Amino acid sequence: MATTNRAPKLKLSNVSKEFTAPGTGQRTVAVADVSLEIQSGEFICVVGPSGCGKSTVLNMVAGLAEPSSGTIEKDGVPITGPGADRGVMFQDYALFPWLNVRDNIGFGLRHGTPGKELSRSTREERVGHYIELVGLAGSENKYPHQLSGGMRQRVALARLLANGPDILLLDEPLGALDAQTRLILQVELLRIWGETAPAEQRKTAIFITHDIEETVFLADRVVVMSTHPGRVKAVLPVDLPRPREETIRAEPRFGHLAEEIWGLIRDEAYRAIA
Amino acid sequence: MIRPAPESRWTPVINAVLLPAVLVIAWQIWAVTLPADTRAPAPVGVVAAFFHLAGSGGLFSATLQSLGRVLLGFAFAVVFGVGLGLLMGSSRSVKDNLDPIIESFRPIAPMAVLPIAILLLGTGTPAALSIVAYAAFFPLLINTVHGVSRVDRKLVQAAMTMGVPRPRILATVILPAALPSIMLGARVAMGVAWTAIIAAELAVGAKSGGGTSGGIGQMMFVFYAYSIDLNGIVVCMIVIGVVALLIDRFFRATERWLMPWRY
Ligand SMILES: Nc1ncnc2c1ncn2[C@@H]1O[C@H](COP(=O)(O)OP(=O)(O)O)[C@@H](O)[C@H]1O
Ligand SMILES: [Mg+2]
Repeated sequence: MATTNRAPKLKLSNVSKEFTAPGTGQRTVAVADVSLEIQSGEFICVVGPSGCGKSTVLNMVAGLAEPSSGTIEKDGVPITGPGADRGVMFQDYALFPWLNVRDNIGFGLRHGTPGKELSRSTREERVGHYIELVGLAGSENKYPHQLSGGMRQRVALARLLANGPDILLLDEPLGALDAQTRLILQVELLRIWGETAPAEQRKTAIFITHDIEETVFLADRVVVMSTHPGRVKAVLPVDLPRPREETIRAEPRFGHLAEEIWGLIRDEAYRAIA
Repeated sequence: MIRPAPESRWTPVINAVLLPAVLVIAWQIWAVTLPADTRAPAPVGVVAAFFHLAGSGGLFSATLQSLGRVLLGFAFAVVFGVGLGLLMGSSRSVKDNLDPIIESFRPIAPMAVLPIAILLLGTGTPAALSIVAYAAFFPLLINTVHGVSRVDRKLVQAAMTMGVPRPRILATVILPAALPSIMLGARVAMGVAWTAIIAAELAVGAKSGGGTSGGIGQMMFVFYAYSIDLNGIVVCMIVIGVVALLIDRFFRATERWLMPWRY
């Protein structure tokens, strides 16, 4: 949001990440010179071809990987490791196979910092709430291997939300869902993020997707990345009013923005399949 | 058209029992042809010996004593094997420091340690126990290290992003993720432990002159070296086999109970 007199919530300065293959010593530059300022309460979407470093950027913000060069700051303080203030929803869900749906969702509340001050009944209530929210009521006692891909994704989303992080880091969180569920959860996600709340009460979100319409529907700004090496190609503000209703998809401005983003990634998308 | 005979639910049972029954009968027929003063075991003699040994309570108490030693030795091995395995699996430097020691002891068979154990600990339970623990330790340790090294890093990372402290991740993520491998190690370890106790009791029995050490291995030693009762030895063999089978079944059941998500 347009509050320029505050330190940004997240600040990436010239962030690069290089991987060295253990055997051959061959180096891959996954992310090159990414600089980005994200304000508190902003909803950022990241699009780009597969392999352009989106997950790598997210991991570094989460504190799970260190930049090879450059710095990442949260509220002006360098990030040194992972913490419950930055919740992650992993691209491959990372559900615990030995826990059922309920215990997966309640894991952070039970063992991590988010549930420290909460009573058992409050934790259970919160878990129940998110089970309802993502439409998993009735499947509480199932194990991940008994769930469909879409259901697993919803468990991962509920687990993230139940921990109540201040910053949401979402790696293709709705990718495995059918179209209808996806539209419903997009709206739900905006509500949880705080769309109807005053801007200063909103969470900060970084949302990776490859669905262009999804970025336009959700984002305050869209970060378009390009590959080899992974760079920020453009940052587009989405000047659509909030709260956003389903009907907004039919508006001309929505279509224009989607086309503009498509225009930025079209060349690379074609090259990728050529 | 020829239809195959409908399968009765007894068919598998009959198939399983048929060949052993034939073999036992053949064995008995062969035994009858031997001279009367033979020492060779025969099915009828084995059954008689079984009822004699079971009736006196001696067989039961000897089995129980061996089993008790195995369980206690196994418990030691679980504590040290799994504990150390978790540490080695999650810390590079612990592993690098311990690996050479462990790899140099691993090829030394439990029986090769026995002479030292007897000389240091005597012919009673402590010696038998230490052999069992030694034998069971390695499969547990190695499978735990292997299981920990294969834990999906993403799961550990997920726990880290939920603010779960390191030691707690060990208990809530790494241990359950490595559990299938640990349980495999436990099953192997239990099999090895049961073999080791019999051998240890045999050897300890020899050293103590067949006297005081107890256990089913020692009972076997007495039949072998003193009363020369081959029927008794066969009874011991069968009991040892049956107990091993029961232990394995018990472990399978435990796995189902400990890891319901895999079934
Ligand atoms: N741990 C790693 N080791 C080596 N290379 C990696 C690793 N993680 C990612 N990469 C490489 O970095 C690039 C970007 O990966 P990633 O961030 O997963 O892309 P995206 O999420 O945009 O598809 C890819 O070329 C990938 O092969
Ligand atoms: Mg990715």
